[in-house]
Amino acid sequence: MRVLLIEDDTETGDYVLHALAEDGHEAAVVHNGREGLQLALGERWDLLIVDRMLPELDGIELVETVRRGGRSTAVLLLTTLGGVDDRVRGLNAGADDYLVKPFAMSELLARVAALGRRATFTPVQTSLRFADLEMDLLRRTVTRGGEQVELLPREFRLLEYLMKHAEQVVTRSMLLEHVWDVHFDPHTSVVETHISRLRGKIDRGNANPLIHTVRGSGYSLRAAR
Amino acid sequence: MRPGRLLRTSSFRLALIYAAITGASFLVLFGVIFWSTARFMRHQIDDSVANEIDEILADSQAGNAGGLEGVVRGLARHPSGFYYLLQSADGVVMAGNMPSMDARAGVREWDEGHGPAGRSQPSVRGRGLEMQGRYLFVGWSTQQLHEMEHMVVGSFVWGLGASIALALVGGFVAAGRLMRKIEAVSETSRNIVQGDLTRRVPVTAAGDEFDHLAGSINAMLNRIESLMSDLHQVTTDIAHDMRTPLTRLRQRLEGAQRSSTGAEELRGLLGRTIREIDDILGIFSAVLRIAQIESGARKPGFTAVDLSELLGTVAELYRPGADEKHQTFRAEVAPGLTVRGDRGLLMQLFANLTENAVRHSPPGAHIALHAAARAGAVEVSVADDGPGIPAAYRAKVLERFFRLERSRTTPGSGLGLSLANAVVKLHEAAMALADHEPGLEVTVTLPAAQPLAVRSRGDPQASPPVSPAGSG
Repeated sequence: MRVLLIEDDTETGDYVLHALAEDGHEAAVVHNGREGLQLALGERWDLLIVDRMLPELDGIELVETVRRGGRSTAVLLLTTLGGVDDRVRGLNAGADDYLVKPFAMSELLARVAALGRRATFTPVQTSLRFADLEMDLLRRTVTRGGEQVELLPREFRLLEYLMKHAEQVVTRSMLLEHVWDVHFDPHTSVVETHISRLRGKIDRGNANPLIHTVRGSGYSLRAAR
Repeated sequence: MRPGRLLRTSSFRLALIYAAITGASFLVLFGVIFWSTARFMRHQIDDSVANEIDEILADSQAGNAGGLEGVVRGLARHPSGFYYLLQSADGVVMAGNMPSMDARAGVREWDEGHGPAGRSQPSVRGRGLEMQGRYLFVGWSTQQLHEMEHMVVGSFVWGLGASIALALVGGFVAAGRLMRKIEAVSETSRNIVQGDLTRRVPVTAAGDEFDHLAGSINAMLNRIESLMSDLHQVTTDIAHDMRTPLTRLRQRLEGAQRSSTGAEELRGLLGRTIREIDDILGIFSAVLRIAQIESGARKPGFTAVDLSELLGTVAELYRPGADEKHQTFRAEVAPGLTVRGDRGLLMQLFANLTENAVRHSPPGAHIALHAAARAGAVEVSVADDGPGIPAAYRAKVLERFFRLERSRTTPGSGLGLSLANAVVKLHEAAMALADHEPGLEVTVTLPAAQPLAVRSRGDPQASPPVSPAGSG
């Protein structure tokens, strides 16, 4: 993926740039808002990673300008500590996702991967399929290998999110945000508990478990190798 | 106090305006008195003159010797205050005590020296009659009238002068008094600016509007002082709370630098270090969040929040943690509870309260999350049968960084309840901490939103009720 990182702190910028390159992305970094905007509009990018606080042009204004310019490039906004309003303002401005600084690199990479997927995603889907797992979004039913699996509403949403991001790493906070609509760390094992229940219903007794734990990062839905 | 400064005060200007108004009303009053008195006296003169003329005519017709001329001559010989003149058609004085004048009928009046007959004439008012070519004039001296007029004008001038002087003196005194009172306030504020925040505006026993003002200012100063001291406390606490873990981190890193540990061991150490740094950053984040919430900037974004659904999620979030500690977690949430607020912050509020209950209660404890509508409000309570909070500390725990265990060894920043409190205040709700015998019961009373799903039993206009748990 071609990623443009607009981040004024050079150390953070270089660190993220390095990690993106290691993860196989083609990334560039600029250190101020005005230059960032020029570059964002001047070239073709798959993803913009924009810091909220930027010299010369504020991150949120930058995103607004990019959107007004008709660009639908995916945008990940990096917000500050304690920025109570940043999430809502950023998403209103047209950002696709946000991440609060400081963040774990694995979290950033997981979100970058998820946003890269977004572009190829067909918006109207009535069913999801992965390996022998099938989900009917209209009838709210799930089958594994043709056999009906009974899921509670929350488990259904959890599995839906995992299936939409199949073969990707999905972090704990991504699940909290999208499945529970919780935007802070509740210091609980709720995600682990639900994942383990979901495993019990989907993978138990199956030779090919689909839900995998990625150590130190999160979870991933993938077929056994 | 310099007089120049006094003259510029608004109260002195006010006194000047009052003086002008006093003068003007004096002038009106004087005019009315002057005019009506003079009119009355002239009327009296006219009446006397008319009577005299009637008598003269009656006497002359009663066959008196010498006729009209004789009567007038007789009267003029004995001065009685009246002036008489009878002259012939060609202007020759026939009788009377006045020089001749032009024969004009009707009421005539002139001032001293301005009469029709020349300079020597006194001031007179009277009436002239033409009778078969002859001219009869009877008049009365207006000396008294003029004296009275002079007297009225004189007393008016004195009165006016005195009242203006009084108004000015009063204004001066009032301005001086006000200046002194205001000076007291200014001096207090100057002292405060210079750093003495303990100073207060003096309040007198008079209970006037200045004492009222002084009371308000003092209340404001008390608030500022307590905020300042809070700020000081928070700054110190942050420094203290940061120093301990940072020192620990430093020691650990130094230890790792000195000893030749293996790569795997080093990796584990770095992992622990990153977690600790995340905790420290979490504290900063919480402090900043509290500050932002307290600034109230989020209020415009309030929407109707389905509290029943929200509390359902909260229960779901913490049930696993309670299960792990073999605690009994019970959630009784009435359906259809709606409040106005910020969903994210309300979620954090109830999450913090529930997390506290789970974390601070021992294994096997009972935790209950309860929510119900109650007379125009929604009451949410989180109760546990854990160690509770001694009554003396219940107000303290809402302060930033306050923790019951002074050792600061258990996890937690001591910010959870302050954050909860900030969210409660933003929503104009009330939070009460009470003894659950044993344990702690935290009750949050939120004003109910205009109901969406369920009909409110109470008066929807009712103000948010005082929390029934009180100070317990």
